Amino acid sequence: MGTSAHQGRSRGGLSLRLRLLALCGLCWLGVAGAIGLGLWSGYRHLATPEAMGSFVQAGIIAGFVSLGAMVWLWFTLDARVARPLVSLPGALRARAHGNVPGALSLPEAVALGDVVPAANDLIETLGETRRALTDAVARETERLTDGNTRLEALLADVPVGVLMCNADHLLAFYNAQAVDLMGAGITTPGLDRHLFDYLRAGPIRHAYARLVATGDEDAASTLLCTTLDGGRVLSARMRLHDTGQAKGPGYVLTLTDVTRDLVTHVRREAFVAEVFDRIRRPVATLSTLLQAQDAGAPGQAAGTKVIGLDRVMAEEMSRLVAALADLSSRHEAEGKEGWHLQLARASDLSEGLRARMEAEGLTVTATVQDLYLRCNGFEVIALLAGLAGEMAVAGLAHQFDVQMEEDGAGAMIRLVWQGPPLSVGNLMKWLEKPLEVGFADVTRRSVLAIHGTEVWPEKTAQGLQALCLPILHARRVVRRPPEISRAVVYDFDLLSKDRADKVQDRPLSDLTYVVFDTETTGLLPAKGDEIVQIAAVRIVNGRRIEGEVFDTLVNPRRPIPAASTAVHGITDAMVQDAPMIEDVAARFHKFTEGAVLVAHNAPFDMTFLRRIEGTIGRRFDHPILDTVLLSAVVYGQHEVHSLDALTHRLGIAIPEEARHTALGDTVATSEAFLKLLPMLKGQGLTTFGEVVAAVRRHGRLIKDLNQTEG
Amino acid sequence: MEQDKTYRHRVLVIEDEDNIAVALDYVLMREGYDHDRIASGGEALSRIRSSHPDLVLLDVMLPDVSGYEICQDVRLDPTLSDVKILMMTARGSAIERRKGLALGADGFISKPFELSELRQEVRRLLQGDS
Repeated sequence: MGTSAHQGRSRGGLSLRLRLLALCGLCWLGVAGAIGLGLWSGYRHLATPEAMGSFVQAGIIAGFVSLGAMVWLWFTLDARVARPLVSLPGALRARAHGNVPGALSLPEAVALGDVVPAANDLIETLGETRRALTDAVARETERLTDGNTRLEALLADVPVGVLMCNADHLLAFYNAQAVDLMGAGITTPGLDRHLFDYLRAGPIRHAYARLVATGDEDAASTLLCTTLDGGRVLSARMRLHDTGQAKGPGYVLTLTDVTRDLVTHVRREAFVAEVFDRIRRPVATLSTLLQAQDAGAPGQAAGTKVIGLDRVMAEEMSRLVAALADLSSRHEAEGKEGWHLQLARASDLSEGLRARMEAEGLTVTATVQDLYLRCNGFEVIALLAGLAGEMAVAGLAHQFDVQMEEDGAGAMIRLVWQGPPLSVGNLMKWLEKPLEVGFADVTRRSVLAIHGTEVWPEKTAQGLQALCLPILHARRVVRRPPEISRAVVYDFDLLSKDRADKVQDRPLSDLTYVVFDTETTGLLPAKGDEIVQIAAVRIVNGRRIEGEVFDTLVNPRRPIPAASTAVHGITDAMVQDAPMIEDVAARFHKFTEGAVLVAHNAPFDMTFLRRIEGTIGRRFDHPILDTVLLSAVVYGQHEVHSLDALTHRLGIAIPEEARHTALGDTVATSEAFLKLLPMLKGQGLTTFGEVVAAVRRHGRLIKDLNQTEG
Repeated sequence: MEQDKTYRHRVLVIEDEDNIAVALDYVLMREGYDHDRIASGGEALSRIRSSHPDLVLLDVMLPDVSGYEICQDVRLDPTLSDVKILMMTARGSAIERRKGLALGADGFISKPFELSELRQEVRRLLQGDS
């Protein structure tokens, strides 16, 4: 279409000159006709026939002269006007589309007057715009390239594999570590290659579906995945990443080699175990002997001096025994806490285990509850797969059912088979072997030590054989229920002058804060609900102090309703051995000394703490800030101020497995608080007193809002 | 049971460390049990079969055969079902206790223990027997 229009205009250009020629021709014909008519009329008027020759001669002369004048006129018009007019569009178009530089140079177009200079002005402006655009594009490109190079350099240096996929699981980006980790030595992954050419699809699809189901674009999840040949287990973190695809979001996978710190850790664990073992034996013998001696042999009358010495020795010994018991129970508790272990999803573990066992030619089924197990997935999978392999070699079984179920505060993993029992003797021998070929330092037994657990054979109630491996700490996977609006009437006494007095004029940035959250048996403290978990973190100088964390379960002295367990995943069994609220509240009071308390919906949590003040003899009279109210000050009352909504607005991601745990919510609240602080400052609220005054102004409205919601 | 008062419960101690064995010996003697001790796990099963004691005081950490293994073997022999087993270990975690009980032990105490605790546990198991 553009081409035909162009041709049309060209034809118009040609016909301009022809039309001019025709016009001049017609003009001359008119002039010649006028001369002829004039001469003819003069000749008739004269009526002298012999004058005819003179008239014809005059006519011919006038005809030629006028023709000459007309030809000159045509030539001039054609050269000075028509030709420049015909060539002008071409020259302009060349500059518009052909990117020909420079001003128009049409010396023959003088007759066109200001047209050419005007066109040149236009051309110059066009050129400037073009240059500016090119510069901008170049700058932007350079910045992007810079950013890309920097990103690539950065990702080349991080000790983890990073890769990015779209919704179809096609690789869009990866770093060199990811290539190594995926065991792609044989085939280098290329862009737009399928991730599942390298990693087993199950756990990744599973995690992806789970994250998409949360409907939260910032959601992240940890998972375990295996390379396609089942040779390597990787710990991965998946975060959704919107690529604008209609099919769904893409994702970023961060892969970690989970064996990295294993050896060091194993050695340390073995050392501590040895220390305990070597001290326990002589202490046990000595203490038994001393006690036996103390009881006195029959008929022996002990002298006073000897009794005195015995008493001293017995005292020292009982002190030693007590110290040993205390130290080892603390060591055990530390193992139980499993700070060095991550939460692994039971379904991911069983999938990984199945992959390994099937790779060894075994038949595997799985019966797995939806749990998070605190364990090193790689080690647990390698241990169980190894033991199953040994059993197959020994001819005990080739077909297993992998079972994982809740067991007290932890979980029980069982490998179940039908056939002869496994002897403890064989099991012990197999436990001394390396966990993996080439891992001489890490035996299967060391995995048990790291997890503070044991493994044993057992006969099930159905008469089947089972290999039992308890995992000390586990929690139920919590499906996020819709946000519960806690029925709360705002208690503005919490912002009383008494409390605030100490810090009234202090800038917010100077204060120390303790952000905390509780999980409870229910929402009605007045009707007997109790705390089951408290977590808190400290903020000093505007930063969360990583090491200072308060996180404990609390025995509520009453059953936890199933509906509440569904929210926070805490069961009766988990709190059975937990400390009582009096003990925890006293420790919590100590943790919060001198700090401003911060909570999301503080009145709810404070109600529980205030109840215990009398019993523990200390008052929770700290200054208090509530992130619900701060959110109202910053965003206005009409926004939703739930923790999920607030963190979402502030771009804070809460890992899926941390949601509705006291510590997870505490960390989220503290992140939100840290982001709200500069926003308050931006509104001119710098001191504690100013913020409290602003909160009070918003107070009434919030109260009303809560009442209508409730 | 029609045991007269002179019946003495028979206790077999399986413990490799001589010194603690001496202490146990002393305590059991004072409690008036008919007791015996072997130091190795290897001969444990045959000895239990031949002497059929009322109670076996079984150390977990033996040099040749583990106490857990002996416990499992005893429990796999139906003729020994009335033999009580009290396991002793120097590593007394809750998980080991569970393992011991899962493998068929009747009681579990961790070293170092209070003598009264040992006496109580032994009495409990033997009373259940009579």
